[in-house]
Amino acid sequence: MMQRWRGLFTLVGQAVDQGAAAVERVHLETARRPFGILERIPILAVPAQSVHIIHDATASSVYALIRIVNDAAGRTIDAAIDTVALLSDRGG
Amino acid sequence: MASTLDQILAVLNGAVGDMLARTGNGLQLEMGWFRNGLPVRPERAALARAYPEATPRVVVLVHGLMCTESIWTLPDGSDYGSLLARDLGLTPLYVRYNSGLSIPENGARLSALLATLHEEYPITLEEIVPLGYSMGGLVIRSACHAASRTGEPWLDRVRRAVYVGTPHRGAPLERAGRFVTRVLRLVDDPYTRLVADIADLRSDGVKDLGNAVLHPDHPVPLLPGIRHYLVAGSVSHDPLVTRLFGDALVPVASATDGGCTDGASLALPPSHIRFRPGLGHLALAHHPLVYDDIRAFLEERT
Repeated sequence: MMQRWRGLFTLVGQAVDQGAAAVERVHLETARRPFGILERIPILAVPAQSVHIIHDATASSVYALIRIVNDAAGRTIDAAIDTVALLSDRGG
Repeated sequence: MASTLDQILAVLNGAVGDMLARTGNGLQLEMGWFRNGLPVRPERAALARAYPEATPRVVVLVHGLMCTESIWTLPDGSDYGSLLARDLGLTPLYVRYNSGLSIPENGARLSALLATLHEEYPITLEEIVPLGYSMGGLVIRSACHAASRTGEPWLDRVRRAVYVGTPHRGAPLERAGRFVTRVLRLVDDPYTRLVADIADLRSDGVKDLGNAVLHPDHPVPLLPGIRHYLVAGSVSHDPLVTRLFGDALVPVASATDGGCTDGASLALPPSHIRFRPGLGHLALAHHPLVYDDIRAFLEERT
């Protein structure tokens, strides 16, 4: 049963991880279009490029943070399942 | 009978079972024998305990995509296996497996399981009758093909095989899904590509159903030396609806391996094919009329 609980939490973790990656791709690609238009206007090109870089870096950091928290939550749950398994083994 | 949790796991395995296997996830189902919802170890003592009434002839029931062996249960609680035991003295053995794995992978696993059965069955095994529903029929064909290549002794015990609602020539619904995914990928839009990514999440098992891939050397014909019996259904008695929709998932031409629509290339005798108009795909797995067909097939002299 513990194996199944572990599998379920792993699956949820993978879904969050891959979901965040997919949303990040969509987010960055969607933002690329208006920035691309602005970057073609000579007077706005330089500031638009700078803002684009800052935007992408900020967005990627947020998604990376989601993945880090998700990973940490997964490890914590894993450890909790290990403890429960150990206690139930000792309990006979 | 499988529990609700087992059935949820079967659906999950059918949808993403290949990924569960790749990542070693504890939710994946291992192929094995099941009786009354409980696993039976493929060892002589365990088989003898589970089947104290074992007979020399067995019927091996292989379910379809996203199912467990519960799919065989008729409204009165019996199933094709228990009815064949009552009427023809066959011992029913129920397989449960991860239907999200590719069909060749499940075929190889079934071949290994049957090889163990051949060695460990508590009494001398005279005949193995594989009975497959939907994808299960393709898994059986794949197992037989794999066994014929490696000369597995269990294959000598297979003289007859029955396929119910099996897409021998593939499932157009999956091919349509593949086409839609390809078209979506052509659109240069992140949201559309996200939809395509989600649509592409379906398992290797589902993808193999599109063209009935049984082996890397696709296509693989029905194995000679075995008498193959096919049952097909359709959602309606109307010929046009039957032609368009088949049993809702599998076209009649695919379930009959072309037998009903292409007389010129008919590979099987007409008596080996039964067509049940009015029975949809799900109903084929547990219907008294289909049981009558299976029984009639297996009553034929070998």
